[in-house]
Amino acid sequence: QLLGCDCAQQLSRGQDPGAASLLREGSSLWGVLVGVVLRYGIHVPSDVNNVTLSCQVQSSPATLLVNVSGKFYEYTLKGEISAQELNNVQDNEMLRKVTFDPEVFFNILLPPIIFYAGYSLKRRHFFRNLGSILAYAFLGTAISCLVIGSVVYGCVALMKVTGQLGGDFYFTDCLLFGAIVSATDPVTVLAIFHELQVDVELYALLFGESVLNDAVAIVLSSSIVAYQPAGDNSHTFDVTAMFKSIGIFLGIFSGSFAMGAATGVVTFTKLREFPLLETGLFFLMSWSTFLLAEACGFTGVVAVLFCGITQAHYTYNNLSTESQHRTKQLFELLNFLAENFIFSYMGLALFTFQNHVFNPTFVVGAFLAIFLGRAANIYPLSFLLNLGRRNKIGTNLQHMMMFAGLRGAMAFALAIRDTATYARQMMFSTTLLIVFFTVWVFGGGTTAMLSCLNIRVGVDADQENVGVPESERRSTKAESAWLFRMWYNFDHNYLKPLLTHSGPPLTTTLPGCCGPVARCLTSPQAYENQEQLKDDDSDLILNDGDISLTYGDSAVNADSVPSSGASRRFVGNSSEDALDRELAFGDHELVIRGTRLVLPMDDSEPPSNVLDSARHGPA
Amino acid sequence: MEKLKKYVSVKDEDHFYHQGAVELLIFNFLLILTILTIWLFKNHRFRFLHETGGAMLYGLVMGLIIRYVTKSPDVESGTVYECEKLKSGPSTLLINITNQVYEYQYKREISHHNVNGHQGNTILQKMTFDPSIFFNILLPPIIFHAGYSLKKRHFFRNLGSILTYAFLGTAISCIVIGLIMYGFVKAMVHIGQLKQWEFHFTDCLFFGSLMSATDPVTVLAIFHELNVDTDLYTLLFGESVLNDAVAIVLTHSISIYSPKENPNAFDAAAFFQSVGNFLGIFAGSFAMGSSYAVVTALLTKFTKLCEFPMLETGLFFLLSWSAFLSAEAAGLTGIVAVLFCGVTQAHYTYNNLSADSKMRTKQLFEFMNFLAENVIFCYMGLALFTFQNHIFNPLFIFGALVAVFVARASNIYPLSFLLNLGRKQKIPRTFQHMMMFSGLRGAIAFALAIRDTDSQPKQMMFTTALLVVFFTVWVCGGGTTPMLTWLQIRVGVDPDEDLKARAASQSAPNLDKNTTKAESAWLFRIWYGFDHKYLKPLLTHAGPPLTSTLPEWCNPVARILTSPRAYGDQLKDGDTVYIINNDELTENYESSAHIAVPAQDSTASTQATGKEDIQEGDLGLGGCKLQLQHTAGQPQNSLA
Repeated sequence: QLLGCDCAQQLSRGQDPGAASLLREGSSLWGVLVGVVLRYGIHVPSDVNNVTLSCQVQSSPATLLVNVSGKFYEYTLKGEISAQELNNVQDNEMLRKVTFDPEVFFNILLPPIIFYAGYSLKRRHFFRNLGSILAYAFLGTAISCLVIGSVVYGCVALMKVTGQLGGDFYFTDCLLFGAIVSATDPVTVLAIFHELQVDVELYALLFGESVLNDAVAIVLSSSIVAYQPAGDNSHTFDVTAMFKSIGIFLGIFSGSFAMGAATGVVTFTKLREFPLLETGLFFLMSWSTFLLAEACGFTGVVAVLFCGITQAHYTYNNLSTESQHRTKQLFELLNFLAENFIFSYMGLALFTFQNHVFNPTFVVGAFLAIFLGRAANIYPLSFLLNLGRRNKIGTNLQHMMMFAGLRGAMAFALAIRDTATYARQMMFSTTLLIVFFTVWVFGGGTTAMLSCLNIRVGVDADQENVGVPESERRSTKAESAWLFRMWYNFDHNYLKPLLTHSGPPLTTTLPGCCGPVARCLTSPQAYENQEQLKDDDSDLILNDGDISLTYGDSAVNADSVPSSGASRRFVGNSSEDALDRELAFGDHELVIRGTRLVLPMDDSEPPSNVLDSARHGPA
Repeated sequence: MEKLKKYVSVKDEDHFYHQGAVELLIFNFLLILTILTIWLFKNHRFRFLHETGGAMLYGLVMGLIIRYVTKSPDVESGTVYECEKLKSGPSTLLINITNQVYEYQYKREISHHNVNGHQGNTILQKMTFDPSIFFNILLPPIIFHAGYSLKKRHFFRNLGSILTYAFLGTAISCIVIGLIMYGFVKAMVHIGQLKQWEFHFTDCLFFGSLMSATDPVTVLAIFHELNVDTDLYTLLFGESVLNDAVAIVLTHSISIYSPKENPNAFDAAAFFQSVGNFLGIFAGSFAMGSSYAVVTALLTKFTKLCEFPMLETGLFFLLSWSAFLSAEAAGLTGIVAVLFCGVTQAHYTYNNLSADSKMRTKQLFEFMNFLAENVIFCYMGLALFTFQNHIFNPLFIFGALVAVFVARASNIYPLSFLLNLGRKQKIPRTFQHMMMFSGLRGAIAFALAIRDTDSQPKQMMFTTALLVVFFTVWVCGGGTTPMLTWLQIRVGVDPDEDLKARAASQSAPNLDKNTTKAESAWLFRIWYGFDHKYLKPLLTHAGPPLTSTLPEWCNPVARILTSPRAYGDQLKDGDTVYIINNDELTENYESSAHIAVPAQDSTASTQATGKEDIQEGDLGLGGCKLQLQHTAGQPQNSLA
């Protein structure tokens, strides 16, 4: 086992000097190389070390004590083995050693990756596009799962006719396959986007979709597995079982969500003076979320994702600056190591996994299916979303999103989880090939595709924000519909002050009757904010002059505000304004507080923003 | 029907798995509780309980709860099955249970009298980690961090003393504990508590070696907080770090020691084999660890990796881990390799890293160290109740406590006396008392003891080691602050201030320098010269370029190996710096009355002292490039 570790490690080390975006290709390539060497280069004589015995045991205990000629040996349960696997177990010992337990992926390697994804969601753009992202992630994944399932089912039916099928393959298996390969993971593409500073909107859409996508795919696949029609005739359609599955889906999803969010909320610390303790607590709490969800029968990975998002939203603001750095870097490193490990293991698995079932028809069908699935996901949904969005998703962006449907670690981990039956083994082999193909071909072709589609690169996120004309600003606001608006209000007025040091003190936002409670819960720093709000007035006046100055300049805003009522209005709307700001600069506490101070020095955009919100205020 | 059964079995597996999550969750909550408590304590400046002590306390409470509140739900596990057909224990076992084949993996062999213990509570069983986890997962980060954070300046100044304490001291302590324990064992046999043939002298020595690994984290944390005298800190820290390595290898060699005929008789051949083993393993691990670090240094030096801090940190981490794994794979001691890897990384590689990576690696290992340490101490508390084969023997425990203190005394006092003969800057009485007092036992002793708990003597040792750890961590750890005030050891010393003060006080600068100089004997002097002239320029960007230090004929090679930055340091203004330096030196020189040098060759001897002084600078501020710059100018000047 140690040797195995070392090998895999050599791999991930081998690719280190490569450029950041080429990491995955590199690591999986190294994995393939070593896999070939292990498979064909090393021959370990297989001893007769597996004997099947028949004993008087009724169940399968977790530990087994065996008395062999006077000596006691302890054995631990590893797993159940299906009948056809029995012969393969006797195979090459070396290959067995480099094959990890699939649960390792789910319990050790995936959580840091997923947590980091949640923790590093670019919140500003994420929340601005929340509606679209949710649509892509939930509806899109369901569509993709169904489309892939049906295409593959057609393919399987064809194989049955031609007699290529060597085992059972039901429709549920097809759907499971659909769910597995619906988990997109465009890290390669995102890395290139990040480097080239591609349009932020596109980045946010892709990233948000891929993150939530994973969660949906996990829960979806586990509920498909749980789909157990009643009665003898399994694998026929059964309404109750389907509703049960849907119930399980919703239950697991909301349970994991609640658990993750709850732990994220609970982790609010006052350990600022001791960064090490703070980091430790942060890490342990996040890990506890995972374990708690697993212990309760929910999906730990999903819980950890939402925990990451909540931590980033609330807890991150409470941490001391050093801890902020530390946690970011720690999870960045963990994510980096885990990801490379998975990809190099993938390469290794192509040769060392012992029960591959490669079926050309199925592979071709699967490739066809994932493209159709991706297309059926992106284009119709984009069309529908564009009906509602003011800031349309351009056709070239749609093409790019279609192109960026890479499959990665999550699909692999889901596929390797259960490789007991013939159908599952075929799915695993096919998934592996899909991952390789998409990562190497699509990942490698991203830059070419970008220039081909004329997508603008080199966009500075903040710059762009400033340059947006008034009409577009309004459109983004329109996009975040009333539901999100309400949520923001709630978040800003109650949750943020409760959980972090920022925002208006609770004493002002809560009704008078809750005064004492509010006083306990508000942090002293919030009162400082309040004081700042108080002396805001003077700021505001300065501001006001500035605004009226720019106001006169700007020809876009034709409607004028009565100057007598202006200052009063501004006071009334200042919280609203802060709200809007927060959307934009959610993660910069300082910026939020300092907004008014910064304003006079800024160019004409922010004041118009203020005015904008002023106009929207009463509505 | 079959379907249903399969479903049930899946359910079982799930249940099995969830149980694992629950166990880890318990640990997590214990650690979270520990962190919160420690924060509370730190906030209120209570110093009597360190985080490790707190973790142990919570572990103890949790162990108590698990032991007496939970009930065993599983009856069947623990039944022994007879298999006549099998001749040996295969590594995997396939068992056909009513037409379903299960795979079982070999775990270990169990001795006869332990079989009953396995029929006990399954939850207790599950809360027991595999001992190899300590050695393969938890200890390496702790030890690496220790090596990586050795305060180099003071460490190298006291290297001689530290090595003496670590090697000689540990050997003495091991033998003394072994002898005393042998006496107690004899007494126990006499009064009939123990059977004669069970406890050999080698067992006693084994116990002695594992109890020799001191681990004064608690004390060091307090020292660090109070800024206790740096010399004391360095002596203790250096000793405890190297100590661990020595104790681990010593334990290993003792357990290998197997005389041919009579296990109690002395066998010279076997003894020398053990000694050879000790030396071989130690040297091998040392070489393995440092060679990995050298590779890392070269990689970071000759590639532009520092533009990607993320990759750099990843590489650093992976290579350090590889040092551990390859030492283990080669049959050496991974922990010792990792220790020396850490020291070497800190000495060379650290200088090559980008500023971002420096921060990252430091914080990463600090964090891992923190977590691993607390997990171990927490587990220790838990193990007191959940470990199933405890053998509490009051006499043995009492004997062990006595032996530990006597051995610590016979380690510190005589060695300090001997060292004081050679040292100009004596180790005062109070320091000796403090060092005697801070002989806490910790993670290493525990890990060594839990490694092998098959036979009865080993179980007794484990129990006793656990109790000794508890006692020393709580009593000695808690009593550190009172002890410091009682011994009137000065606190609140800023190390840099201290050094400056010494350097600045004109009255005895040379005296002071001389003492430290004298302490680092000629062997180290040669090493420093070599290190500074060849290794540092080869492995880092600092130091004089190799082209100037190597002989002429190596020039082409030297040019390749020297980094461009070293030429940059080649000190355009090196001369001026040196001249100033030189002036200062001569000034000091004249004012000092201690060194009587004939005036006529004053310039020549100034050159000589100049060299020495520079080396001193390296000793003192090993990590600082600026200080090294004078040296670069030095050869030129002597040429001129």
